[in-house]
Amino acid sequence: MANSENKQVINAGIVGWGAYIPMYRLPTREIARVWGWPEHQYKALNVSHKAVDGPDEDSTTMGYEAAYNALLRSGIDPKMIGAVFFGSESKVYAVKPSATLIAEMIGATPDTMASDLEFACRAGSEGLKASLGLVSSGMVKYALAIGSDTSQAEPGDVLEFTASSGAAAFIVGPRSESAAIVEDTYTYVTDTPDFWRRAEKPYPRHGEGFTGEPAYFYHIMGAVKGLFEKTGLKPDDFDYAIFHQPNGKFPLKVAQRLRFPKEKVLPGLVTPYIGNTYNASALLGLARVLDQAKPGQRILLAPFGSGAGSDAYSIVVTDLVEERQDKAPKVDDYLARSYEIDYALYAKFRRIYVMLPRG
Amino acid sequence: MAYVTSVGLVRVDRNYYKSPRDLAFEAASKAIEDVKLDTIDYVIVTSSLTYLQASQFDLAAYIARELGVNVRSAFTVEAGENSGLAGVEVALNLIRSHAAERILLVGVDKLTEYISNRTYKMIQAIYDTESDAVYNVGHAGPMALLMRLYMDRYGVDRETLAHWPVMMHTHGKENPYAMLRFKVTPDKVVNAMPIAEPITLLDAYPLGDGAAAVLLSSEDQGGDHLAKLSEVYSSIGFQSIALRDDPLSFEAVGQIAREAGLNPEDIDVAEIHDSFTITGILLLEELGFAPRGKAAEMVAEGAFTKGGSGPLVNASGGLKARGHPKGATGVYMLAEVAMQLAGTFPGIRADSPRKGIAVGVNAHGSSARLAFLEAL
Amino acid sequence: MVLPVWWRKRIPRYRFVGALCKDCGRIHYPPRNACPYCGSRNLELVPLPRRGVLESYSIVYSVPGDNRLNAPLPIGLVRLENGVRVVAELTDVVPEKLEKGIEVEAVIRRIGEDGETGTILYGVKFRPALGRK
Repeated sequence: MANSENKQVINAGIVGWGAYIPMYRLPTREIARVWGWPEHQYKALNVSHKAVDGPDEDSTTMGYEAAYNALLRSGIDPKMIGAVFFGSESKVYAVKPSATLIAEMIGATPDTMASDLEFACRAGSEGLKASLGLVSSGMVKYALAIGSDTSQAEPGDVLEFTASSGAAAFIVGPRSESAAIVEDTYTYVTDTPDFWRRAEKPYPRHGEGFTGEPAYFYHIMGAVKGLFEKTGLKPDDFDYAIFHQPNGKFPLKVAQRLRFPKEKVLPGLVTPYIGNTYNASALLGLARVLDQAKPGQRILLAPFGSGAGSDAYSIVVTDLVEERQDKAPKVDDYLARSYEIDYALYAKFRRIYVMLPRG
Repeated sequence: MAYVTSVGLVRVDRNYYKSPRDLAFEAASKAIEDVKLDTIDYVIVTSSLTYLQASQFDLAAYIARELGVNVRSAFTVEAGENSGLAGVEVALNLIRSHAAERILLVGVDKLTEYISNRTYKMIQAIYDTESDAVYNVGHAGPMALLMRLYMDRYGVDRETLAHWPVMMHTHGKENPYAMLRFKVTPDKVVNAMPIAEPITLLDAYPLGDGAAAVLLSSEDQGGDHLAKLSEVYSSIGFQSIALRDDPLSFEAVGQIAREAGLNPEDIDVAEIHDSFTITGILLLEELGFAPRGKAAEMVAEGAFTKGGSGPLVNASGGLKARGHPKGATGVYMLAEVAMQLAGTFPGIRADSPRKGIAVGVNAHGSSARLAFLEAL
Repeated sequence: MVLPVWWRKRIPRYRFVGALCKDCGRIHYPPRNACPYCGSRNLELVPLPRRGVLESYSIVYSVPGDNRLNAPLPIGLVRLENGVRVVAELTDVVPEKLEKGIEVEAVIRRIGEDGETGTILYGVKFRPALGRK
């Protein structure tokens, strides 16, 4: 395989990580009840509930809280952050960066880069990889990569069963300060129109089954196999495998194809409880694994974004992980903080009802 | 000092037929119709919402021009819910300094000009819009926080507090200028629609429109007067309840009560600011009319109604039943106390009262004023 | 448009920063031009503790403005760990679990919006504290 990526030591790693999941949960059976789907339609997805953002939340507030948690774990001065990347497909402004908002909120401004990235569900991961590059090259000391989404789905579309809300953030810094170092990465992209949202349209469209084989499976397999080839690593070398999780079924299936046993996938699989948080999907899985990982363990991370592409990372946990695990709320704390709502409240929170401006 | 010469009141109501200027015209005309006047030195209009609602600057001049009297100067005074008494303070000082012989004070505001959620947004600006009112605290939110604190600290139950609106409605029923002229029971108050828990609809002033006018004259002006306006005491308080060491303390009210050397036994009638039940209760205590934590109990025992052990408080029905057209309220209070002292108040009357006070605050007490009146 | 009004106060709202009076030693939020207690202008911005206790609360039903989406609105009087008090909206409140004395923590939420096409205002609200510090 011709390889555009040089084999080199990445002199950077994850110094701090943070998660955020909103409190509200909509059971998938509620969606089926309202839209008249048979049980079979959603049970196979292996998603019991999805996390719903409250009426005063959005991708910015969620991304901020994840970033704040990452900062707490890192213990660094936010002024030292030289780049903020915000990956989302549910930005609150079509034009105006969310990255500057979060950079200002955490106190990283004005001496920093800041930009929003878009690549369906993979922009947050691209931010992570770009951060690794910036830090490794010595251009900045620390960088912040955020994946955050209040995912859109057209009411009545099957996508509605899984499109949910959440955020994950990572402070990337020098290898010596890292709780987990990134050994290597490999990225695999093609032009594959499996899922998209046209400009100024409120909901995305997708190719149903077309999102599976030629998109999700093809790109993740391509990225992971590319990483294996580049590094000589094999499934047995990893303690955890985290894949993009659009539902609770695909990650287990792709793991099987790559010969990862289920036990290595389950710790980083959060979609069955909260749905697909898009840009936070695989990254929340990584946050949950880091919450419990032991020094020396190796993690495979493979986010995916429609359109389409996947990044594969080999990550090794360092001795610093344990002292940072309790410095901020864990993914499990947010999973435990749940309040079930019905479809009517969900529709209100998500502004699905047509309301005219007043007052 | 100055004299309260005459008054003109409009019944507080949902007056959809009249604009703020129409209401002001009506009240002002009533106040001057029986007084022969060539010249009014100042027309002082007190209003806090009219600028927002009628998009009108220099309101006082426009109102004054319609009176058909020679007016030397006109301006508007704004101090939120305390605008009316602020106007009284300015007028008294102009007369005392011999800058004016006759001043017509006109208070006016409408709260039904817009739909309620828009009105709530406007009137929550009585709180600090750079702190508490950055949030959607509404017009009642911070006072609701105080009510819960009060109930917990002094172990006063909801039902006991309900006796304030019960008394206000009993009083208001007899006042032809009151907006709400029906009796309520404690049970009805407790079970009324919540506005901001634990404040219910019947703890809160009604959204109504009104205008009140008072003609003030210097000592040199002959003729009949209703009462003497001896002094106005004024103070300012913290921007938020959060800044107080004791959130329940209305320090500005305590300050003016001390300055005035207020002795409850000397006061026969009082009109006090009761935007919500808790405001009335806290003012009673801050003024020394009741010990801390005891005002509600005393109200329930009838201490502040006719024949009670204390002064007659809010014979008008108070903000609760007479109504609270913001910038006009202090002018209503002044007129009502003057009429009590003259024996002409058309509702429940104190027996030969000699001394009366009108006490107003804005919001949680960002400012406070006390007007002291005496019978002639 | 309310752009500059919101923009100029963003830092204390985003970072939950109060002002310490270097003369009387008291802290207030949001920072003001002068110390509310002693009038001193010798003030220094200081980060505030994010945790506190709910001293009082209300559920506001007379919802101001265009806020039906957030109705009813819980608000609270919060006493922070350093004794500073704040009046603010509460969020993520389960009505049946709302009570005095619960521990709350500061979070950033949307606190306003300049219509459908205008900018979004972010600021501090308080929610029931998560299990761990």
